[in-house]
Amino acid sequence: MAEDYILRMRGVTKRFPGVTALENVDLELRSGEVLALMGENGAGKSTLMKILGGAQPPDQGELAIDGKVVEFRNVSDSRRHGIVLVHQELMLASNLDVAGNIFLGSEKSRWGLLNRRAMRSASESLLHRVGMSCSPSTLVGSLTPGQMQMVEIAKALSHKARILILDEPTSSLTLTESEQLFKIIGDLKRDGIAIIYISHRMEEVKRLADRVIVLRDGKRVGELEHDQITQNKIVSMMVGRELTNWYPPLRPKADYPAILQVKNLVVPGAPCAVSFEAGKGEIVGFAGLVGSGRTELMQTIFGTTPPLGGTLSLEGQAFAPRRPRDAINHGIYLAPEDRKHHGLVLPMSIAQNISMPDIQNYKPRIWLQRGHELAVAKKQLESLRIKAPSVKYRVGSLSGGNQQKVVLGKWLAMRPKVLILDEPTRGVDVGAKAEIYREMMELAQQGITILMVSSEMEEVLGMSDRIVVMRERRLEGILPRDQATQERIAALMTGAGKIDKSIGV
Amino acid sequence: MRRELGIFCAVVVMCGFLFWSNHDFGKAANILNVSRQAAMLGIFAIGSSFVIITGGIDLSVGAIIGLTGVLIAKISSPSVHCLNHPLWVGISIALAVALLIGLIQGLLISKLKLQPFIVTLAGMLLVRGTAQIITHGGTLGLGTSPLINLSTEGLFHYGYHAILAYPVLMFIGVIILSSYLLHGTVFGRYVFAIGGNRDAAEYSGIPVDRVETLTYVISAGLAGVAGICYASYIGQMTYNVGNGYELNAIAAAVIGGVSLRGGEGSVLGAIIGSIMMEVIQNGIILFKWVYHSAGHREVFRLSSNWTYFITGAVILLAVLIDQLANILNKRKRLKRQAQIAAAKQ
Repeated sequence: MAEDYILRMRGVTKRFPGVTALENVDLELRSGEVLALMGENGAGKSTLMKILGGAQPPDQGELAIDGKVVEFRNVSDSRRHGIVLVHQELMLASNLDVAGNIFLGSEKSRWGLLNRRAMRSASESLLHRVGMSCSPSTLVGSLTPGQMQMVEIAKALSHKARILILDEPTSSLTLTESEQLFKIIGDLKRDGIAIIYISHRMEEVKRLADRVIVLRDGKRVGELEHDQITQNKIVSMMVGRELTNWYPPLRPKADYPAILQVKNLVVPGAPCAVSFEAGKGEIVGFAGLVGSGRTELMQTIFGTTPPLGGTLSLEGQAFAPRRPRDAINHGIYLAPEDRKHHGLVLPMSIAQNISMPDIQNYKPRIWLQRGHELAVAKKQLESLRIKAPSVKYRVGSLSGGNQQKVVLGKWLAMRPKVLILDEPTRGVDVGAKAEIYREMMELAQQGITILMVSSEMEEVLGMSDRIVVMRERRLEGILPRDQATQERIAALMTGAGKIDKSIGV
Repeated sequence: MRRELGIFCAVVVMCGFLFWSNHDFGKAANILNVSRQAAMLGIFAIGSSFVIITGGIDLSVGAIIGLTGVLIAKISSPSVHCLNHPLWVGISIALAVALLIGLIQGLLISKLKLQPFIVTLAGMLLVRGTAQIITHGGTLGLGTSPLINLSTEGLFHYGYHAILAYPVLMFIGVIILSSYLLHGTVFGRYVFAIGGNRDAAEYSGIPVDRVETLTYVISAGLAGVAGICYASYIGQMTYNVGNGYELNAIAAAVIGGVSLRGGEGSVLGAIIGSIMMEVIQNGIILFKWVYHSAGHREVFRLSSNWTYFITGAVILLAVLIDQLANILNKRKRLKRQAQIAAAKQ
């Protein structure tokens, strides 16, 4: 039997400092098969695919292609065996044309001169194969996300891909574009190309996959054949852990006096204004697909991209943030989604990061108050249980969970009124996650309003008092917790739940 | 501190070697001369360091040094074609102009988000051009202006020589002030934070634009101060004075551990880097190698044509050693973390 597997991974294990990303994972793939790989964020899907793509070596385990054991030292090793990974964030050079992108890194040339004509004509047939009618000399920057996706696939085909890995390919596509993609996946299948399809969207998986493998916390927890796939089975495999250990007990439903009022706020780039309220001590969850405009809304409230219209008021007083300092002075703080780029100065110490927004207020001001700085940081280190040898430790050397806690500590040291947490547990390991949830609950008890943006359904349902669902930069609906179910949120998120629009807003 | 200590040791070894090769290196006149040169370079190298630590670069400092001298000569010198105003008027105007140039460049860079390299490159040409226009491409002498004595006079004398020449005294003042500013104030902390991660600094409510602008003002201002010293030292101002000095400042800063990636560096590093630069220059002149060939005593000396070559080699060597140390450290750290991770399993 083993011979008809085009790919076989056995006992793959990968450890990172502080986390075991993959533990003893097996995976096998036949040619002409669509294998869906599912699991929550952080379950190890992308690490597994990085290993398959040659971007990272496994600590243990082996890979066999056509029954022969291989070892990938880099991406081109894996390419040579016909394995191509199409990333979720498309890796195209927008300043080059389609043909240039398809042959990026493997340009056809004659005596060092680019052979544009050969590349164009080869591109044409590849584009035809993925159902695109545009000219190979179209600039990639002018294409829609869906077309770019097709260019990526055409590029993969140009590498004579036998195994194509698609990482959340529909996350930024419209419905028609997705349909187009599904059709092409069907064509590729018939050509005998094996496809590993990573997606969170149950419908797509049910429709496309011949088989599903589910990962959880770095382990393979189950496998389903096409006719066994049901949403319930997959969800229970994906989640399959004691929820009680994760989320603090739900608080009784209460009326929270409104503290933050957002009225007709126009976020730059959004098609229409949004309005909502958040109460004192309330946790408001913001659900939506990637790119649904949640982060942009939060950045507008925080002042990094000032609003184009509408009003914001805090405790009844209007305020118009033009820059983060304005929001900070009002007690509105943002822990950004992209910790490493927006949240932390990685080469600086924990203490220096925690003191950053507030240090100019440490008195006396004539001299940098290093002693006070260390004391403040130490307090946060202890209360948030940040695992570090000392507050003078470099933030860049901490694990994801501890880095997130430093971001939290930076704001908690300043008595927030409203705390905006954008994907607070992204890239955070399981233990630290539970601690962050506990901390959030405690803050809410103290009367701090929390706006939490999260792409993890469970997290939204487990933590929020109310759930705001966004889609395509609009506010689709607001659900009180007792009316929120996974299905309902999913329906609003994907635009299938027009009826629910009557609720809230 | 590791970098500063390493480069300090290198300077000490170099001095020892030079002294061994030519005892003239240890003579009072030479030591005082080298220290004056290092002081003048150090003054504006510290200024450049402020900019570099925020992740920027200032190419206009050499031109500002030239313009400062030209302005002082034009306004205050009693020579022909000059206006013969009191010295303080010339110095104040020259310094004010320097600060203004820094302010304009800083605002263009921080507010309009123009690239520092381009802005200060244009600034360099504009400022140099202004000096050229003022001098009509010729020379303005300081004549009998009392400024002439600034670079040679000073406190405590040893024979004819002032032990602490005024440029050295000014350098000490600049060191104290800039150390306080960079390492002792909130402003300094912001400078490092911006260089470390500009976006995170912005998200933390740091007035990034203001701080960045100020670093260019400081850089230009200190270039102005250095310009006064050079004017006094040279005496005859052409528009070409200070040509290429911006690169000396950058080199001194980088040798002293200021990272062009931003977020790293210290005043101490810039000081030691400046001393290193001047010791190299001095060493090339003084180095000699005595050997015997066919019973004759021969002396080998380096031609001054080697200056650029050796300076380049030293800069490359300094960053090379530093990077190797970084790579080794990183490897060690990763290994340690992996061990800890494996032990936990």
